[in-house]
Amino acid sequence: MKKITIVLLILFLLSPVFAIDNNKLLKQVDRNLNPESFESYRKLINIEPNGREKEFVLFTVKKGKDKIAALFISPASEKGRSTLRLDENMWLFIPNIGKPVRITSLQSVVGGVFNNADILRLDYAEEYNVVEIEDLGEEYLLHLKAKTNSVAYDKLKMWADKKKSLPKKIECLTEASMLIKTIYFKQIKDFGGGIVRPSVIETDSPLHQGYKSVMIFAGIKHREFKDEVFTLPFLPNLESLR
Amino acid sequence: MRSITLFFILINLFVLGLSAQEEHTFDLSEIEKKSFQIGGYLEFRPVLFGLDGDSWFYKLKFYDLEEGKTIAEYNFNVLLDASYEKGIIKAKIRTNTDITKSFSGWSHNTTLFEALFSVKPSLSFHLDIGKKRMKWGKGYAWNPVAFIDRPKNPNEPELALEGYMVLSMDYIKSFQGRLKTITFTPFLLPVNEHINSTFGKPNQLNFGGKIYFLFYDTDIDLMFLSGGSVPARYGMDFSRNIAPNFEIHGEFAYIPDYSKKVIQEDSTAGEDQYASINYLMGIRFLTKTNTTFFFEYLKNGNGYISYEMENFYSLIDQAYQSYLLSGDDSQLKFLSDTTPQAYRTFAPMQDYLYLRISQKEPWNILYFIPSFTSIFNLSDKSFSLTPELLYSPITNLELRAKITILLGKGGSEFGEKQNDFRLEFRGRYYF
Repeated sequence: MKKITIVLLILFLLSPVFAIDNNKLLKQVDRNLNPESFESYRKLINIEPNGREKEFVLFTVKKGKDKIAALFISPASEKGRSTLRLDENMWLFIPNIGKPVRITSLQSVVGGVFNNADILRLDYAEEYNVVEIEDLGEEYLLHLKAKTNSVAYDKLKMWADKKKSLPKKIECLTEASMLIKTIYFKQIKDFGGGIVRPSVIETDSPLHQGYKSVMIFAGIKHREFKDEVFTLPFLPNLESLR
Repeated sequence: MRSITLFFILINLFVLGLSAQEEHTFDLSEIEKKSFQIGGYLEFRPVLFGLDGDSWFYKLKFYDLEEGKTIAEYNFNVLLDASYEKGIIKAKIRTNTDITKSFSGWSHNTTLFEALFSVKPSLSFHLDIGKKRMKWGKGYAWNPVAFIDRPKNPNEPELALEGYMVLSMDYIKSFQGRLKTITFTPFLLPVNEHINSTFGKPNQLNFGGKIYFLFYDTDIDLMFLSGGSVPARYGMDFSRNIAPNFEIHGEFAYIPDYSKKVIQEDSTAGEDQYASINYLMGIRFLTKTNTTFFFEYLKNGNGYISYEMENFYSLIDQAYQSYLLSGDDSQLKFLSDTTPQAYRTFAPMQDYLYLRISQKEPWNILYFIPSFTSIFNLSDKSFSLTPELLYSPITNLELRAKITILLGKGGSEFGEKQNDFRLEFRGRYYF
């Protein structure tokens, strides 16, 4: 009985250590995907079952844990639109309307399978806790649970490469474990400055059979910004950072 | 028939060809930044108006014309945006050209919407001089606190509008904690015969400002305008997400010495002075099926009350009867010339509801948004209904079809407009 008590006590004392390690792994995945503060250029392509495609190019800036903004560079119909996310607050600035309007993470400013949460993504470790890690040999399977109910997906299942600590596939699930979409990370590329990460992200969804969206990164580099960049009055001036 | 079949085969081959392009590429050379940029859109917008021959506004405008039950109008529009940016300076110009073919013939008009010179010595400080829109307010259909903007059309709230000549600056400061941002935006707006002449009383230097806070995840603005061209006014607005898919917003404006132009019994314009309170409350709600609901209530204290509108209609009636009896249209012409613009604005009365329901990409049709909009005048129970279809079949091409049906009894706002309905198609190409 005494032995069992000691074993249980050790397990109890070690459990937070495991939890910390789990979240450390997720933080490592985040850092390998991008620096905490960076700028990047991305092309988003929506592909329909009939082969029709529409492309969007975005310039993105991020600072710290909770600030990210993106500017549409093309196509012409979207040029000048910009989006800002401060923690859970999101806004869309449309030049003709001229003032930022609040949007939600579930909407999509580009249509297709990617929604605003995918486009203005904060670090996974900021929005999710690791509840379980499965060792699958060459990869880990991380089971993530949203910290709050304002996060776009309640649960994530992330398959991560053990050696590189980079995601290979993520399934986004509802609270009832219904699959909303699957995100695939492909074509690892050296962007310079120590950033080696997947350059192509694809997504599909059982809710949009036959549709696919692709995100291609052309440039990503560490860059520091002042907090004032991530404010509503600065949104119309994001272009000046390029 | 054979040629049509061949055309569709070629289209399908083209589409299949596109789908075969599995490899997508993206290179930084594609997005090289240019100092000088130009863009805009070309638009073609035919409109069919279904006239209401019994309405007072029809009688005021078409009393001597035989236009039948419908009239068609063809609108061509070019919006041009050009900008030059170098270091801390930026110059921007926006022009709008309308060419219209209506029952009265061809007409054209080019307006300088914006012409702005900006200096940005730091990320926190921004100085603008020139013609620009200030775009105050959080409301979607109406903005009671947009003290220095031209009124929006609630049926076209996203339409580009002309600005005013101002000198303004933005000072931005960010913080950690519950108060995340403060921005101070003071401005000067001169009015004389040549500059901002439509704004109000000439030979005045108007001034005002706005302070914006992002506080407890809520956007809050406090603003004021003074200077003499229009009565001084004070306002505030806010916007906040109370849930990820549920936004609330509001505006409040107070004008202590508002002067309302009211048409008198002798058809001349008089003035009624009082303290005017205007406010707006609104919500935006997104369902799990991607349906967005906009709902707004407007209290337009600047607007007319029922008997003032009834008085106006009875004056048109008298003038029209006089014309029918004697053929003398001088009273109608006088009334048409002297009627204050406020009687013809988008919200001439005091209590309105706005509802818009839009469904993003139903049946998995990308870039297709059907929507339904209704504006309800609570004072006289008249309303408009606008179903709309918006689709972007190819990149940079946007097609829109909508019909607005106006309903209301005699003597009501929407019942007395010159149209019963308005059917419109819009094709817009961005470049």
